This record gives sequence, structure tokens and C-alpha cells, in this order.
Amino acid sequence: MFPYLLVGPAVLYLLAITLYPGLFAIYQSLFVVKFVNWSWAGLGNYMRIIQDREFWAALGNTAIIGGLSLGLQTTIAMTVAFFCYRDSFVRGWRIVFLMPMLFMPSAVAFIWKLAFNDGRVISDLLMSVGLVSNNVDWLSSIWLARLTLIVADVWQWTPFLFIIFVGALQGQDEEIEEAARLDGASWSSIFWNISLPMMRPIIVVAVTLRGIDITTMFTNVYIMTQGTPGGATETMSYFIYRQGFRMFNFGYASAASVLMLFITIVVAQTIVKRAFKSGKS
Amino acid sequence: MASILLKNIVKSFGSFVGVQDMNLDIVDEEFLVLLGPSGCGKTTTMRMIAGLEHPTEGEIRIGGELMNDIDARDRDVAMVFQGYALYPNMSIYENIRFPLRMRQVPKAQHDERIRRAAEMVELGPFLERKPGALSGGQRQRAALARAIVRQPQVFLMDEPLSNLDAKLRASMRVQIKHMQRELKVTTVYVTHDQIEAMTLADRIVIMNKGVIQQIGTPDDIYSNPANTFVAGFIGSPPMNLIAGTAQNGTFSAAGARVPCPANLSGNITLGIRPEDCLVGGDNLQGLVYGVEPTGDITYLTVRTANKTVEIKAGREFRAPIDSAIAVGFDTSRLYFFGEDGARVGGN
Repeated sequence: MFPYLLVGPAVLYLLAITLYPGLFAIYQSLFVVKFVNWSWAGLGNYMRIIQDREFWAALGNTAIIGGLSLGLQTTIAMTVAFFCYRDSFVRGWRIVFLMPMLFMPSAVAFIWKLAFNDGRVISDLLMSVGLVSNNVDWLSSIWLARLTLIVADVWQWTPFLFIIFVGALQGQDEEIEEAARLDGASWSSIFWNISLPMMRPIIVVAVTLRGIDITTMFTNVYIMTQGTPGGATETMSYFIYRQGFRMFNFGYASAASVLMLFITIVVAQTIVKRAFKSGKS
Repeated sequence: MASILLKNIVKSFGSFVGVQDMNLDIVDEEFLVLLGPSGCGKTTTMRMIAGLEHPTEGEIRIGGELMNDIDARDRDVAMVFQGYALYPNMSIYENIRFPLRMRQVPKAQHDERIRRAAEMVELGPFLERKPGALSGGQRQRAALARAIVRQPQVFLMDEPLSNLDAKLRASMRVQIKHMQRELKVTTVYVTHDQIEAMTLADRIVIMNKGVIQQIGTPDDIYSNPANTFVAGFIGSPPMNLIAGTAQNGTFSAAGARVPCPANLSGNITLGIRPEDCLVGGDNLQGLVYGVEPTGDITYLTVRTANKTVEIKAGREFRAPIDSAIAVGFDTSRLYFFGEDGARVGGN
């Protein structure tokens, strides 16, 4: 009994902050909730969500912004990691590259908001090199607004993937690389034929983790764009927030959260399963 | 097929000199073994031939062509690594095929060459497996097949058998030697195992602290060691080295006394191989320290005042520990080394 008593508080704490809110959200999703008035709706909220164009738009935005951001981060992180993983500075000081990740997300969002919108820093820079002639209104176009979110996310989170990829490359057996060189392989052949396939499980795990994180993108949207223009940057998290805390449709917001959780689990599970299955054969 | 020439090769790592002024001429089709203890510079020498390290000074030529500035991938050498270095994500078939793909060998030739190489190392049934599904010996054979498939000018082998058990090592030794004779490819083989060196080599290069100690055939190195390092490194158990003094044609040390060339005097080290010692005789007096019967032979260790001496005694020999024993030396097989360790006389 004593051991159970020892771990009891920690378990209770975890259950209180994870299991209880989760179950509560599922329960709440079955009601139409207007503050203290709860009326049974069954699967009504879910039926409404499936027909809600804004929900599908938010899902699409999340996929577009998240997908592009993730693709860009992965490509940049992998390229930089491949070119510098043998560098002694990177070996010794790779922790330095984690700096952007250590900033508070809201601070990062404000910095980029200043740089893009309020402070016009990016516009001024682009004008000074002659790429644009007028001040750019980043929130005036769907793709420019999405680009601001992508840039902010890439800036903050590329180091996370970089550090994982550098670690994986540094952990590779140097003899294998040397054997490939003697077999006549160029650096790019070594990368495509040997390093990349060997890193596959690590890449899948890192990208999946990052992908799950990106689907919950909220802070940047809330601070930088608030879903504008015309809902083009409204991600799922922001949609749920808007439904819950702006329109006070708590049951509806809960149903959307449950659906989002379900979609995330299914997608992540499918990717990981497929990646590891084909890696084994 | 090609000769290899190393001319005044120096390799430094900062202030540490890994290889010092090395000159070596490896003839075409020769099987040359670089032998020495860990850190003696043998692997560095091989890696310089491969192009994985660049010499600080000196010239490396393969087939007469200067190789100093030629990248590893453009040198026509194949290397077998101690850890096999197979590509874990590829099947054995794809592993063996990799150098053919990288060197743009016509695809039509691939299958036949891969199967021929696999046959040579008896790996035919395992081609579809991944390296992780093979035993150590099979992996080593796969690494060999990958090296031979492209018919390189030079084979480099870096302690390829050191991860295998003793029995497998013996059979792989025979296989490597047979393969080298069949393919007639100049081979440089690095090992710290003197049995491997003696059994495989046409010539052995013994190195210590980055310096070549002796170059010669296995017989030559065994029979005529140039210095105490070589004498103490070759042989199992190695040559007994007894420090003493020579005067008026007699060498004497605590408990030992043998005739020596009259021209020797001062501090001298006597060398005598364990098989050239006989129980009974009057050259060495001591106490039995250990008796190790192995079936076909009994190893006897005798302790004198400041030294233990190994002797290969007959298979029936037994003696109680700490009993007094007298040992005789075959005086036609004595070696004498000067204070600097260089051979000064004997045999």
C-alpha cells in the first residue's frame, strides 16, 4: 500500500490536469452549453460541425500553414544539419542553436508582429534592397498573411529539428561514410543513399512530434493575425478558441476539440505505423 | 593491380607525430601486413593509402601515379573495415551492388558480378538479407564481397577479423589468403595479431611509435629479428629477453650464463625463443613459477632472480610449483641485443 501512497499524489495530479479535462470535454461536447444552461444535444454538435464551412476552412488552413511550415522547417533543418554536422563548432555548441526555442511563444509572436505589421521592419528591409517599392500590408492577402505565420513558426522551431538531425547524423558510424566514399559515392550520394534512409525512424518521430505541435498553433495566430484576412489564417485552435471564448458555444467548441484530437491521433498513428513498417521490410 | 610506393611519409596530428619518415615499396600482387601494437601508426598508414587521411609530408603513389591530392573516391582502392561498415538500410545484394552503382558500371553486368563475388565468399543464400540478420562472420564475408566486386587495384584491410571468434578467424584467414592469390590484387592488411601476420603475409612491416622496426618475410622476421621490439612482438609466447652483461665471451645475468661472441661487452640483452630452451642443462637456474599443459605442448614458466622465462616443454612435462629447475639453451639459436635494443650478434 505504501508505494501506492507515494505515487498517489503525482497520479492524481496528472489525472486532474489530463484525464479529467479530456473526459469533461467529451461530456460537454454532447450538450449545448450556454454558461450554466446545459441542454442535451447528443451528437448534434458533431453533426453541425461536419456541416460547418468554417470548421473545414480552419482544418484546411491548419493543413496548409502547418504543412508548408513543417516542410520548410524539415528541409532547412536537414540541409543545414548535413552541411555542418562534422563542424567542430556545431559539435561543441549545438545548444546555442536552441536559442529561438527558449523564447516565450507570445514574445516571439509579438516580435514577428512588430517586424511584419506594426514596425514594418520586413517591409523596410525589402524596400531597401529594392525587392518591393511600397510598404507591404501583410494582412491584406491570404498568402502573405499565412506567410507571416509560417515564417514565425519556422524561425522558432527549425532549431528543434536541426538539433535532432545533427544528433542523428553525428551518431552515424563514421566507418560507413568512409566505406561509401571508397566505394565511389559523392557527398550527395552518401546523403540520399545512406544517411537519409538510416535516419528515417528519427526523422519520422521528430516530424510527427513537430506536426502534432503545429496543429495546435494558437499563440502566433492570436497575436499576429487573429485569423484575418477573411478567416484565411484561422487555424483549428483559433477556431475552437473563437467558438468557446468569443461566441461562448462551449459544447460546440468541445466537440471541435474532440474531433481535432481524433483526427490528430489517426493521422499521426497512420504516419508512424507506415514509416516504421516500410523501414522494417 | 598496382604497386604502392610510400616515400618519406610523415603524418602529424598537431604536435603528435603518428607516422615518422616512412618509406615503403609494396610490389604488385603482394600481400603486405602492417603489424604493431595499438597506436603504432599502422592504421594511419593504411588510411593515408586509402585517401581518408592526408600525409603531412611525403608522397604516396599507386601504380606509379601520385595520389596525394586525389580524393578517396577517385582512388581505385577497396577497403574492408574492422566494424564491417555495411550499409544497414540495404540488403546484402544492394550492399555489394553499391560500388558498382557509384562507379557507373553498366547495369547489365551488375547481377553477374554480384553473384560471382558472393559465390567467392560463400554468401550466395544470404543475398536478400539485411546486414542485421547476419552473423559476424557472414557480415565480414559480405564486406569482402563488396570489396572484391569492383575489381580494384588495391585491397586495404583494417583488422578485418578482430571482431570474430578464434575458430572463425582461422577459417577466414585461409579464405582471405586464397582469395588474394586467386584475384592477384595488391593487398595491405593491418593487424595487431602476429599469427594473422605470419600466416597471411608475403612480407610483414613491423611498426612501433610511428616508425618501421623491420620489413621482411615472416620467416626472416622470426629468424632474424632486428631489435628487441621485434623479437618481443613476434612468436607465441614471444622471445625471452634477459638483461645482463657480456664479458670475455660469456653472457651472464642473475641465474643465467651462456657463451656469447667474444666481441660483445657491457650491457647486453640475451634473446632466446621458448622452443629453443630445454628442461635440464646448465644455462639458467630458477624456480618453477607455472606449468600450463595445453594437450600437445606444456608451457613452463621459470622464475629467476628478476625475470620470468617462458619455455615450451614436452607434452608430458609436469613439475611442482616453486621446485628448483635448471634449463639449457640451444646455443646455436641465441640472439644478442645492444643497449639501444638493436641486434648485435647471435644465431
